[in-house]
Amino acid sequence: MANVLILLILGLPWLGALLVWWVGDQRSKAQIVLAILFSVLAGVASLVLIPFASNSVALNIPLGGAFGDFTFVADGLGIYLAAIATIIGSLAVIFSVDYMRGEAQLGRYYALVLFFIGGMAGLVLTSNLLLMFVFWEITALCSYALISFHSDDPKAVYGGIKALIVTQFGGIGLLAGALLIYAYSGSYDLQAFIANPQILPPGVLAVTAFGFLVAAAAKSAQFPFQTWLPDAMEAPTPISALIHAATMVNAGVYLLARFYPAFERVPGWREAVVVVGVVTALMAALMALVSNDLKRVLAYSTVSQLGYMVYAIGTGGVFASQFHLMSHSVFKALLFLAAGAVIHSIGTRDIRQMGGLGAQMPLVRTVFAIGALSLAGIPILNGFWSKELILESGSAHGPLWAWVMMVICAGLTALYTFRCFWLVFAGEPRSHLHGHDAGTAMKVALIPLAVGAFLTELLAGPFAYILEHTVPLMEIEVGTTLSILEEVVTTPLTLVALAVVALGLAVWWWREKLSGLSEALAGIGRVAADSFGFEAINRGIVNSTNWLSEKLRRTQTGLLNWNIFGITAGFLLVLIILVIGG
Amino acid sequence: MAWFILIMAGMLICAAMAVVAKRLLVSAIWLAIASALLALLIYLLGAPELAVIELSVGAGLVTVLFVFAISIAGEEGHIHQSLLPKWLAGIVIAVSVGLIGWLCLPDLGFEMPQLVPTRLSTVLWELRGADVILQVILIFAGVLGVLGLLSGEQSTISKEPDA
Amino acid sequence: MTLSLVSLTFIAVIGLLAIGLYALLVVHNLIKVVVALQILAKGAILGFILAGRINGQIGLAESLALTVIIVDTIVAVIGLSLAVQIRHHMGTLDVSALTRLRR
Repeated sequence: MANVLILLILGLPWLGALLVWWVGDQRSKAQIVLAILFSVLAGVASLVLIPFASNSVALNIPLGGAFGDFTFVADGLGIYLAAIATIIGSLAVIFSVDYMRGEAQLGRYYALVLFFIGGMAGLVLTSNLLLMFVFWEITALCSYALISFHSDDPKAVYGGIKALIVTQFGGIGLLAGALLIYAYSGSYDLQAFIANPQILPPGVLAVTAFGFLVAAAAKSAQFPFQTWLPDAMEAPTPISALIHAATMVNAGVYLLARFYPAFERVPGWREAVVVVGVVTALMAALMALVSNDLKRVLAYSTVSQLGYMVYAIGTGGVFASQFHLMSHSVFKALLFLAAGAVIHSIGTRDIRQMGGLGAQMPLVRTVFAIGALSLAGIPILNGFWSKELILESGSAHGPLWAWVMMVICAGLTALYTFRCFWLVFAGEPRSHLHGHDAGTAMKVALIPLAVGAFLTELLAGPFAYILEHTVPLMEIEVGTTLSILEEVVTTPLTLVALAVVALGLAVWWWREKLSGLSEALAGIGRVAADSFGFEAINRGIVNSTNWLSEKLRRTQTGLLNWNIFGITAGFLLVLIILVIGG
Repeated sequence: MAWFILIMAGMLICAAMAVVAKRLLVSAIWLAIASALLALLIYLLGAPELAVIELSVGAGLVTVLFVFAISIAGEEGHIHQSLLPKWLAGIVIAVSVGLIGWLCLPDLGFEMPQLVPTRLSTVLWELRGADVILQVILIFAGVLGVLGLLSGEQSTISKEPDA
Repeated sequence: MTLSLVSLTFIAVIGLLAIGLYALLVVHNLIKVVVALQILAKGAILGFILAGRINGQIGLAESLALTVIIVDTIVAVIGLSLAVQIRHHMGTLDVSALTRLRR
C-alpha cells in the first residue's frame, strides 16, 4: 500500500504536468482543472500515506549495479515534508487560478508547478543519495524556470539565473558529499550511512558534513548565500509562496535535519550550523526592517525564519526545527498569498504607496493579520509555539550568546512585521490606488491557511510520535501535544521572549518619540539595505559562472570535423593512458 | 583462409574508395560493394540470417536510398577545403589504430572456437522482445524519413518552373 | 607469425572503424557523412559477430547486430532526407556552412 501511495505522490503531479502540457494553451480551462485535480489528489495521497509511516524501504526500483536501487522510504520526516509540499502546493495552484487569470502560456506555468511539487516530494521521500541529488536539481531547475516565468522581463531572468547558479553552487557540495559516501561505503543508501557514519574516516566525514552544509545554505538562502531569495521575488506571487513555504527552501533544512544524526559528532559542525543560523536570522531581520518592497520584506522574513530552523538543528533541536518549518509553511504561504492578493489588486509592490487598504479588502487584511501575528510569535498562533520551542532548545543545548541574539531577533521580527502590516493596511491612503477584495479561488486558498495558523500546533504530539517511532536515530523525546504546549507555557524563558516581542511592538508604536534612536541606527539600516556586502559574494559567483560560459562558448564550433576530432583525440588519450598504465 | 584475407582486403579497399571517390554516385556504388562483401564475410563466419539481411538492406535498400537522394540533391559543386588538415587526421587515426593493435592483437592469437549454432529467431523473440518492439517503432521513424525524402523531391519539382 | 582468423577479423573491424572515423574527420559533403556513418556501422556489425563467435553466443550477437542494422538504416534515411531538405532550403550540402545557429 505504501509503495502505491508513494508512486501516486510522485507520479500524480508529474502525470498532471504532462497532461497540462499536452492539453495545450488553447484550452486553458481544462489545464486549470487538470492542475488543481492532480495537485489536490497528490495532497490527499500524502495524507493517506501518514498512517503507513515506517522506516523500512517502501518502494524499491532495481536499476542494476551502477547506481544502486532507487529506494523510497516513507518515514516521519519524509512523509510530513511531502505532505507540506503537496498540500501547500495545491493551495498555491488554486490561488493561481485568480492570480494568473489572463496570462499567456499558462500551460508552461502549471506544468512546471506540478513538476516542482512532484520533484520536492521525491526529494524528501527517496533514500538513495544519487536520486536525492537528481530531485535536488529538479527543484533547482523548476525554481529557475518559474522565477523567470515572465521571460521578457530582464530582472526576472536575472533573478532566475541567480537562483539557479547559486543553488547549483551548493549542489556541488551535495554531489561531492554523496560521491564521497559512495566511494567509502560502496552504496548510495543514505539510511545505512546515517545509521553507521563511522564507515567514513573522520576527515572525509568532516568534508562531507561541511559539503552538505554548503548545499543546505545555498538552497535555503542562508548566510552567505542569502541574497538569491529576495531577487527571486520577480516571480509570480503564488510561485513565491510555493518556493518559500512548500518546496525549495525547505529542502536545505530537510537535508540538515536528515543528516543531523550522522554529522552531530563532527567537530565544529554544530557550531558552524549555529553560527550560520544566527547570522542569517539577524541580518535578514535587519534587512526586512529597511526594505520597502512588500514581497522583499516577506522574503527576508523567510530567510530569517529559516535561520531559526538552522539554529535549532545546530543546537540539537531537530523536532523544534521541523515543527517550526510546519508552522512557517502555513503562515508564510498565508502571508505570501495575501500579499499576492494585494499586489494583484493594486498593481504595485512598494509599501510606501500603499496604506489604508484594510477598509477596501477586509478579508485580506484579516488573514494577513493572522499570518503576521503568527510570524511575530504572538501566543496561541502556531508561530508562537514553534518559535518558543526553538528558543527553549537553544537555551538548553546551545551557547548563551546565540540564544540572546535569537531573542533579540524575535523582537526585530515583531517590529518589522508590525511595520509592514501598518504601512500596507492601516493609516491613511498614500496614493490613489484602489484595491478590491480577493476572488473566489483566492479565498479558497486563503481561508484554510488562516484556520491552519490557529490549529497546526495541535499536530505537534502526533508528529513527534511519528518521528520518534520511524526515525529512531534522531532521539526525539516523547510528548503529547498537551505536554509539549504545557512545557512552552511553563518555561520562564517564554516570558523573556514574549517581553522582547512586546518591546519590538512598542518600538514601532512609539517610533516618533524614539526618532533619536532610529537616526543613530540609520547607518546600520543603510548597510542592511545593501545586504551587508554579501551580495558581492553572490554576484561574484553568478558573474564568474557567466564569464566562464561565455569563454567556453568558443569551443562549441558547431563544425562536424572539429567535433569528431575532439572525440578521436579524447579516445587517443584514453588509449595512451592504457598503454602507459598497462 | 586465403579467401578470408581476400574478402577482407576487398571490403576495406571498397570502403576506402567510397570515402575518397570524387562523385557521390560512385561513392554509393563502392559502399554497396563493400556491403556485399561484408555480407559474404558474415555468412562465412556462421551467421547466415544476418548475412541475408545485410545483403538486402545494406547493399540493396540503402544503396537505392542513396541513389535516390543523390538524384534529388544532385552532385555538389563547390565544397570548402577541409578545416582539419588531412595529414593531422591521418596521424590521429593511424596512431590510434597502431595502439589498439599493439594492445589487443597479442591476446587474439587463438583459433576461432567451434561454431555453436543458435537460431536468431529464438533469441530475438524469447530474450530480446523489448528490442523487437523498439525496432518496430524505429521503423516508423524511418517511414517518416522517407516521407521527408519524397517531399524534398516534390518541392524541387514545384520550385523548378519558378526558377 | 601467421595471423589467426580471430585476429584477421579483428583487423577488419578496426580497419572499417578507422576508415569511417577518418572520413568523418575530413569529409564536408552531407551525403558523404552518411556514407561514413554506414562504414562505421559495418565495423560495429562485424565486431558483434566476431564477439559472438568468440563467446559462443552467435544468436545473441546476431540479434544485437540486427538492431545495429535497423538503427543504421534509419539513420541513413533520416540523414539523407535531411541532406535533401538542407540542399533544397540552403542550396548547399557543405556541413561547415550549416552554422547559422552560432552567434
